Amino acid sequence: MRMMCSKVHRILQRMMVTKGLALSIAASLVVFSLTSGCTKKVDDTDTTINIPLRANVKGLDPMHANDMYSSMVIQNIYEGLLEYHYLKRPYELKPALAEAMPTISADGLTYTFKIRKGVLFHDNPAFPDGKGREVTAEDFIYSWKRLADPRNASEGFWIFDGKIKGLNEWADAIKNKTGNFEDPIEGLQALDKYTLVIKLTQPYYQLQYVLAMPFAVVVPKEAVEKYGGEFINNPVGTGPFMLEKSSDWVRNSKITLKRNPNWRGETYPTEGEPGDKEAGLLEDAGKPLEIAEKLVFIELTEDQPRWQNFMKGNLEWVEIPNDNFDAAVKDDKLVPELAAKGMKLQVSNAIEVVYNAFNMRDPLLGKNKDLRRAFSLAMNIPLRIQRFYNGRAIPAQGPIPPGLDGYDPNFKNPWVQFDREKAKEYLAKAGFPEGKGLPEFTFETLADSKSRQITEFEVQNWAAIGIKVKISTNTWPQFQEKIKNGQAQLFGLAWGADYPDAQNFLQLFYSKNVSPGPNDSGYQNPEYDKLYEAALKLPPGKERTELYKKMRDILVEDMPWMFSLHRLNYRLTQGWLRNFKYNEMTYNIYKYVRVDPKKRAELKPKL
Amino acid sequence: MIPNLFGITLITFILFNILVSDPATRFAGKYATAERVETIRAELGLDRSLPEQYLFYLKQIVTLDFGRSWATKQKITTMINDGFSATLCLTIPPFIASIIFSLGLAMFASYHRGSFFDKGVVVVCLALMSISSLVYILFLQNVLAFQWGLFPVSGWDPSWAGRWEYLVLPWIILFVLLLGTDILVYRSVILDEAYQDYVRTARAKGVSNWAVYTKHILKNALIPVITMVVIGMPFLITGSFLIESFFGIPGLGGMMLKALNESDFPVIKAMTVIISIAYMFFNLLADIVYSLVDPRIRLS
Repeated sequence: MRMMCSKVHRILQRMMVTKGLALSIAASLVVFSLTSGCTKKVDDTDTTINIPLRANVKGLDPMHANDMYSSMVIQNIYEGLLEYHYLKRPYELKPALAEAMPTISADGLTYTFKIRKGVLFHDNPAFPDGKGREVTAEDFIYSWKRLADPRNASEGFWIFDGKIKGLNEWADAIKNKTGNFEDPIEGLQALDKYTLVIKLTQPYYQLQYVLAMPFAVVVPKEAVEKYGGEFINNPVGTGPFMLEKSSDWVRNSKITLKRNPNWRGETYPTEGEPGDKEAGLLEDAGKPLEIAEKLVFIELTEDQPRWQNFMKGNLEWVEIPNDNFDAAVKDDKLVPELAAKGMKLQVSNAIEVVYNAFNMRDPLLGKNKDLRRAFSLAMNIPLRIQRFYNGRAIPAQGPIPPGLDGYDPNFKNPWVQFDREKAKEYLAKAGFPEGKGLPEFTFETLADSKSRQITEFEVQNWAAIGIKVKISTNTWPQFQEKIKNGQAQLFGLAWGADYPDAQNFLQLFYSKNVSPGPNDSGYQNPEYDKLYEAALKLPPGKERTELYKKMRDILVEDMPWMFSLHRLNYRLTQGWLRNFKYNEMTYNIYKYVRVDPKKRAELKPKL
Repeated sequence: MIPNLFGITLITFILFNILVSDPATRFAGKYATAERVETIRAELGLDRSLPEQYLFYLKQIVTLDFGRSWATKQKITTMINDGFSATLCLTIPPFIASIIFSLGLAMFASYHRGSFFDKGVVVVCLALMSISSLVYILFLQNVLAFQWGLFPVSGWDPSWAGRWEYLVLPWIILFVLLLGTDILVYRSVILDEAYQDYVRTARAKGVSNWAVYTKHILKNALIPVITMVVIGMPFLITGSFLIESFFGIPGLGGMMLKALNESDFPVIKAMTVIISIAYMFFNLLADIVYSLVDPRIRLS
């Protein structure tokens, strides 16, 4: 009897457990689908623009705008004297807070800017009555002094370092405690409330470009003094968007900027490049810009959720991740399924060069040009582009990317054309036939899986002609350290343009820029240096472009780098996004972009 | 506890200074000059002697003011506060749910040891453990959130009312991740107890099977279970980096990993201290609970 009871008891228990489990699973699914999964009705008046960021924003102080993602937000909150024309290519500057392009003296050493009248800083408790005051020429001097002040350790000082009369002396006086922040600087003067004069120590034809960088925007003294170290979280600019309250920035998650009601206003450009009109980018030509109510930056470091959020309509554009490329693009066109959803494909070429560098201080690599040539000829770049970039890149023939003066689409660098036999020939010429007697080299790379895969591919290419290379993986700090200390024998990197002037790439081989500067390969060539210094003194033009080409030829001949490729960026945009044209030089494009809310309400639920 | 903390901080300090030499060059940016690097070294306090730097570190611990992150310049205390809330909401519910569910299921399985059900549980748990967390995340995010739309793909709402909808799918994934190991370990602990003499005695005395498990075995099995729970505590604080980055949850796991990747020493220092203090606290708690559960153990 007791046994029967316990058996029944057991069976009953089992049934109850199973029933209980089943019921709770069913209940949970019902609850979850009711609360979170349902399609919410889309507001057809909402003009919010949602933008993806691939890494976290560090801070919003322009003097520390050293990383791309912080700069993306900063350039929509702050403005500077000059900015890039939204549509024109090649990239061109136009006035932003300056009334007009500067007047430049005949000797190229004095720039005079007239500031626009009536430009207001954002309303903020830092100002009396909380009302933003008008911007003056003094504000620019204050903002740039912050870059130079050694106590701030700004990563942006290089844009003015050694270039402005009296600036370095001023900075040294502060460092030695013999001077004050308020002391005047000969090369930065406000002649009157709206006139700013910059005096240079030498011709600096890249000055106007650096004035369009996030480092050079204008900030109000009142806010910097009020917020101190927390100014990175309480930005106060003049831009079309503002951070209304600090809780609008959820760290490592989302930043919500709101429209600045006091923005100076602008009209949509009336010119662009061929193809813009057909792409609908000139529909709003000449009209006053309609700024979106909200601009939301969503930080998503992983490809999958970024792509999925775009596919659900939660983001207005996305860079197509490698894993999803084949499903989205066929024969360089958007696949019909996505085109039917209203999505569009946009391609732009990144102003950058991806390369492998030789450590020119290395006794073997630095002295043996034939050996370097063997390395380069053995590399199959077209296959690398196919395999790791979905074909989205152009092989690089030199350090200058397409779109810049000095780039020649017809120029072919003989040492980057893949030719295994020729590579073996040069290896033998170098004194190591079939790699005999050659020591093993070490290639420094980053530890992420893509970098490792690409490096393994490259190592196989070299092994095929007899060059043995060992891979050493590093975190970013370790990687940088080895490069800066000259301990990296071979390494792969990319350099993206700070501004659209080939000088930004050619300076990477100037001997005065060796570590800790950006000349990572340690290349030193007096002939090259002479040409470089001469080019610095010339304005953009035929003469300078000839010098650029001569410098390119020297680098092709000496090969401190194996030039690899220039990437192409493929982006998808939603059918309701208007006026979007990605600009590789600047991030302040969201004043031009707008969402068609009715179209979004129509298309989004269908995604 | 204090000597432990002292030892941990000393080891962290020594390791960082040996393994990671000069961060100043890196923070000077790509256009560094030798002068700038020196200025930054002074800013970061690296021009002081090592003993001086270590004493400064100790002072920071005592005042719980770790200064600002080298990488982001944000106040570290704020960073930790912001991240704590998100991480604890992410990790505590599945952690507790897994303990309760695994213990219950382990008891049930060992109750029916050798049966089809028991063997099935072991196989399923081994399978669950063999699958990498990344696979769970990719698959469940893709199917449950993206394709079936049952949950949001990613996101976070800092408000107390709004955050739960973003946590449900991460909870499910964490729960499944914890299940496999928990069930198998608890099952083996319970089985160990089930073969003890006192169990045979209890059965001989006529105690029902149910009471044998709940009143006798469970109590004795609790000690190794508590030990396992305490060992898992740091996970509550460090969170799961992968889940945080795939679901866009701004927690401490992501912060810790970024600090390690960027050699952001102030953040690493702060997190090491906090995790150590938490770990010591939970150990102490475990000792107290042991003494409650097992009358033979007395706190000295």
